[in-house]
Amino acid sequence: MDFEFNGNKIVFEKELSNLDKLVLRFVKILDTLKVDYVIISGYIAILFGRSRNTEDVDLFIEEMAFEKFLRFWNELEKQGFECLNTSNAKEAFEDYLKEKLAVRFAEKGMIQPNFELKFPKTRYNEYSLKNRVEVILNGEKLNTSEMELQIAFKLSLGSDKDFEDARHLYNIFKEHLDMNLLKRQISELKVEKQAERVLWKKA
Amino acid sequence: MEKGLKLTKKDLRELKEEKKRNRQQRMEFVNMYADWLKKTPNKVWSKQQAKYLK
Repeated sequence: MDFEFNGNKIVFEKELSNLDKLVLRFVKILDTLKVDYVIISGYIAILFGRSRNTEDVDLFIEEMAFEKFLRFWNELEKQGFECLNTSNAKEAFEDYLKEKLAVRFAEKGMIQPNFELKFPKTRYNEYSLKNRVEVILNGEKLNTSEMELQIAFKLSLGSDKDFEDARHLYNIFKEHLDMNLLKRQISELKVEKQAERVLWKKA
Repeated sequence: MEKGLKLTKKDLRELKEEKKRNRQQRMEFVNMYADWLKKTPNKVWSKQQAKYLK
């Protein structure tokens, strides 16, 4: 896999899947409305070649006032997306996002794949959003969080799928990772044993 | 400035709670999706699935 990786920017080209195209369409709306976001978790492993599918794309979006959220909601509707949880923007904002819950958006009439959006509710979430990494994919931009954090966090999630994603990202990026940062985050999340088994062990 | 986060007990507790919330929401979604599948013709749901599964 060819890519340029320099700290907070990854530049690469590939043939886009339907999922990639959908994601680029969705994040363009966020960019147009100047909503800060990071895509995290499974899609990032898929973006960088992991051979699996996903039903959802997870994002943290900046915590914002209802008026800004409403503009975002209206633009999503205009661009052919709808919320799967509720058809009411106020309810999505008050009963889900403000209550630390996710709201899901999919193309109208579709259920999957969907975009699972959350406000950052922990310092870890906030750090992810603030320390984002820009991915330039075929000339188009999307944001993700530091690979070191994502790998460590995947280890803490603990399912086979998460371990495989962690190992995949580690294998792809290991020559470019800040190993001190990765080891520190592994230690902070208390997942040293998982790292030993999933990352450091050769086979 | 050093990168990364020093996590406190409170941070770890919040992350644990977040994972629990996420798991619960995902299970609710799995139920919702199954309900939708059961009332949707095969032609419709399989077309959606095929579009994103290569």
